[in-house]
Formats: sequence, C-alpha cells, structure tokens
Amino acid sequence: MGDMSKKLLNKTLRVYILFSLIVLIISAPLFYFITERLFIEDADETLFLHQKEFFTNNLPSLKEEDIGLWNKVSRDVKVEQPTSFLKRDSVFYRFYLDTLANENEPYRVLLSPVTIEGKPYTFMARANLIETEDLITSIAILFFLTLTLLFTGLFFITRRLSFKLWQPFYTTLDQVEQFELDKNIKPNFVQPDVEEFDRLNQSINRLLEKNLSVYKNQKEFIENAAHELQTPLAVFQAKLDVLVQQIPLTNELGNTLSQLNEAVSRLSRINKNLLLLSKIENEQYATVEIVSVNDIVKKQVMFITEQAEDKKVVVKAESIEPIMTSANITLLEIAISNLLLNALRHNHMNGQIMVKLHQNTLTISNTGTPSALATEKLFRRFSHPGSEGGNGLGLAIVKKICDLHGWTIRYVYQNEMHIFQLVF
Amino acid sequence: MKVLIIEDGKQLAESMVQYLQREGYQCEVAETMEDGLERVMLHDYDCILLDITLPDGNGLTILEKLKETGKMEGVIIISAKDSLDDRIKGLKLGADDYLAKPFHLPELGARVEALIRRKNFQGSNKVVFNELTIDVPAQVVSVNGNHLSLTRKEYDLLLFLISNKGRVISKNAIAEHLSGDMADMLDNLGFVYAHVKNLKKKLSESGCKDYIKTIYGFGYQWEI
Repeated sequence: MGDMSKKLLNKTLRVYILFSLIVLIISAPLFYFITERLFIEDADETLFLHQKEFFTNNLPSLKEEDIGLWNKVSRDVKVEQPTSFLKRDSVFYRFYLDTLANENEPYRVLLSPVTIEGKPYTFMARANLIETEDLITSIAILFFLTLTLLFTGLFFITRRLSFKLWQPFYTTLDQVEQFELDKNIKPNFVQPDVEEFDRLNQSINRLLEKNLSVYKNQKEFIENAAHELQTPLAVFQAKLDVLVQQIPLTNELGNTLSQLNEAVSRLSRINKNLLLLSKIENEQYATVEIVSVNDIVKKQVMFITEQAEDKKVVVKAESIEPIMTSANITLLEIAISNLLLNALRHNHMNGQIMVKLHQNTLTISNTGTPSALATEKLFRRFSHPGSEGGNGLGLAIVKKICDLHGWTIRYVYQNEMHIFQLVF
Repeated sequence: MKVLIIEDGKQLAESMVQYLQREGYQCEVAETMEDGLERVMLHDYDCILLDITLPDGNGLTILEKLKETGKMEGVIIISAKDSLDDRIKGLKLGADDYLAKPFHLPELGARVEALIRRKNFQGSNKVVFNELTIDVPAQVVSVNGNHLSLTRKEYDLLLFLISNKGRVISKNAIAEHLSGDMADMLDNLGFVYAHVKNLKKKLSESGCKDYIKTIYGFGYQWEI
C-alpha cells in the first residue's frame, strides 16, 4: 500500500476527530459566555427586585436621619450621597474590597436616583458575583469533560464498530490479494452477514471463475495445439530425411533443403518449448529433490564452452561455490542451459561469457549488443521476435521455472555486459 | 532383420519404412493396437517401434502383453507425448529405448541398429567397416588393428555416421544426436563442423580412407 493512500478506517475517523475538535473549540467559549450572560441577567433581576422592595416598603417611611442606621444594617442595599450625573437607573460592574478575605471581589451594582424628604440621594443595590464565576468555571469544566468523554467514547465505539463491520471486506481483500491465476486455487470466501459484502464476494467469485476458465482454456489450447503439431512436424521431418536420400544433392538444392531443415527444427523447438511451458504450468515437474547447483553449472559450462568455440567466445567460470538447493533437477538444468545459450546466442564474435556462482546467486554475464535490453518485456513469451535464432521462449521458461521454485531472476546492463542473476 | 512399426500415422510410418528398408530391414506396419497385438503374438521381430497413442488404445498395453508372454523383442517407444511419466513407465515395462516425436530418421536408424546389434551379439558387439573396427561395449576404435584415440563426441559422431552408412545426414540430425537433451534450445550448428573436421583428420592420420563426404550446405554422408 502506498504512502499516498489512506486506510478506509482512518479516513472516517479522521473526519470524525476533526468534527469533534471543531465542535469542542466553538462550543466551549460559546457555552461559557451564554452561561455567564444568564447569570448576569439573573443578578440584575435580583437587583431590580431589591430596588422595587426598597421603593415600595422602605422609601416612603425612611427619614433623612435614619440613613446612617439603614446603611449600617443593610449590607447590599444602601443609600448614598447623590451623584450629580445620575439621571436614571444604571447597572454596571464594580470591584469592592472584601475586608475579611482582603481581596477585590466582583459585584454587579444598580444605582438609581431617589428623593428622601425632598433631598436627592442615590440608591445602591449590589450582588456579589464571585460565587457565580466559580460556578460558571465549574460548569464549563464539567461540560468540557462530558463532551470529551462523549467524543472519545464515540471515537472508540465507531472504530470498533467500523472495524467489525469492515472485517468481511478485509478478509475478502486478503484472499483476493493472495489469489494467483496460474496457481489454480480459488479463494474460499466465508459468507458474511452483510448483504453488500456478500454481493461483493459473489461478484469477485464470478469474476475469478471466469478468469480461471479463460486461463484454463488458453492453457489447454496451447497444450493441445502443441500436441497436435507434433505429428505433422514429425511427418515433415521424416519426409525431408527420406527426400535427401532419393535425389542427388546439388549445392543449390542442398542449401534449400538445409534451410527447410533448419525451419522445421526451429518449429519443433518452439513447439517443444511451448509444451514444456504447459507442463510446468500443469505442475508435471512436481518432483523436487536436493540438487547440487554447482555440479549442474559445471556440466552446462562444459557444454557451452564447446558450443562457443565456433564464435570464438571465451567462457570464464569463476568461483563456482558449492550450493545445494531443493529443485526439480530437469527444470534447473533447463533454466541454466537457457541462460547460457542466450548468453552465447546474443554474443558477438570474440565475445565473453562469465559465469559465477556465489552466495546463493548464479550470475551469467555476456558481451553483446551495446545497449540495455527492455527489461519489462524481457521475460514475456515471444516479446523479442526471433532475432539471432532464438525462439522467444527461453527466458519465459526461465522465469516460469524461477516462479515455480520461488527464485528471483533479474537483469541488469552494467559495464557493457548483459548480466542475468538467478538468486536461489 | 524384421522390424514391426506400430504407428497410426500413415505418412510417418511410410517414411520410416522407406528409410529403414534401405538399411536392409524388412518392415511391417500395424496401424492399430489390435493389429499390432496380433502380429506380435504370431511373429517374431528383431525390433518393434511402438507409438503410445493409438486410435484403439495405449501402446503400453502391447508392451505389457509382450512381457507377460516372455517375448523379449527389442522395443523402441515412439511418442508424441514427451512426458516423463510415459518414458519411465515404458522403460519399466521393458522397453529398450524411447524416442520423442518429431525425430530425425537417421536418429531412428542409429537407435534401431544399436538395439539389434546389442540383442544379436550381446557380449562381443563390434561394428566393422573395412579397415575400421568399433568395439561398442568398450567404446574402442581401431584402424587396421591400431588403436585410434577419439574424444567422446568424435566417437559418438563416428558411430552415428556408420550406423547410417550410405545415407545423407543433416547437420541438424547430427547436432541433436551429439547434444542429447540440450538440443532443444540449440540453434548454432557450427560445432558439428568442428567435430567432423577433427574426426576426419584423426581418421586420415591413422591411415583410414576418407569415407566422410561433405554434402555442401546440408550435411554429411558416410560413403560405402
């Protein structure tokens, strides 16, 4: 999975977390201000109530000389010296020093002009806000905690739930990922209790079945075609062999017949290789034993050295270390000889082939065309049409054999050498 | 020498007959398993060429019958199904050799000759051609009684040419004979020329007449 793509689960959770954060950030101050506003309104209401009480119950009977006494007994409702600019009721905040706690405490204050015995005075009522503030803070914290708890709870529940909900999807995904067309093992989906996933599984099943059957048909077609070709090829070859006995061969005729011979040889090689590929795919080379790679390499190097004389290609085998591996011996021989024959076939006169068997890796390098080969097509069937006599199947067979045994094969072009590496 | 060819492909059987008759073999052809079984039970053959896939059954059945009745003819299995299983099964049932289709007729000729030689002469199995003698079990070649030292490939080449004496043999047939299993991928026949050249040189140095005729552009022939 790439770095760019996100997991389905994380994607929903990400949106979820973002939404929760936004709600928290916006609602916390909003909640605080609204609560505070409500408390202030409440306090103001109380102040006006005190004012109304004072005006109806106390003011009519209050004498000027009683003001001092009134102020002594009443803590929060007082009569003060008149303030010149006060024309009507006015409500505001003010701090008063609390002599007991020795600190300034916030108050809500109501001032209103009154007349006592014809003289102007100022009525003052106040309400302490310190407890209100404490209350608001506590409520805010409580609110914040509740929301956080709610969101984390929801987060984990959603995650668990999504995980459980998507579980059949992930199971299907795993199985589809492990599916390989040429292994002929169909995934065995468990019936999920979600309709959509069931549909998904059924669709995938149908798709795979169709693919498998197309693949099987194609495989059978190649195999049958190759088999059917064997007989006419055998007839062709036999007739040619008889023909050359019956007529005196001039140079010209000899050349023509030789070319015919080569063409039919090449045909039967392609055919044999197609059959070989089919057989590998049909797992007809299932017998695996412990084989000594170095012995096979040495044998094949001897063979290729002989073949290389004609082109004056030097074959150098260096550090052939003993390596044992479990493999089908026939296939291993075919893989190594295909690589070596390729190294010779695509070589030039007086070229070089280097063979190295070191640390579980067989390296075969050769001189040849002075440019790298197109890697992506290299191991495909018939991808590099039969230049220099190859039949376009050699490397495809090597790749098949490597896949079957779980080996890796890679190609690099380095220091003007074409290098094939087979890692056991 | 009598050879029975059990092969349902008429044209292939015909070519096999044409090629083998020239070597002096008397050839009979059976196109079905039933016909083949009947002939095998009635007559004795020096060699049987047996196709496995027959229209009315598996050729291996004939092999089983032969084994049951103790008729130990030399059998060469000829099969289009070049499967390892068939090869092993056939050889286990007592077949002497196995040849996959398509094959070169000189290859078939050499195999038939080798088989009959082995059956008929058992211990002292020698190929003699004028001044040349090949002791096959010992793989020793001598010219006028003098030992001639050859490489493994030169020896194989000499035996192959003599086994098909008088025949024109293509380079391809020689190349495939010399390289065995490796021949499947082979497309470079230059090495055949090199081996022939070396063999010719060694033979002439030892005083042997030059029997190997080059058929220009095509191949070689061991002249009688």
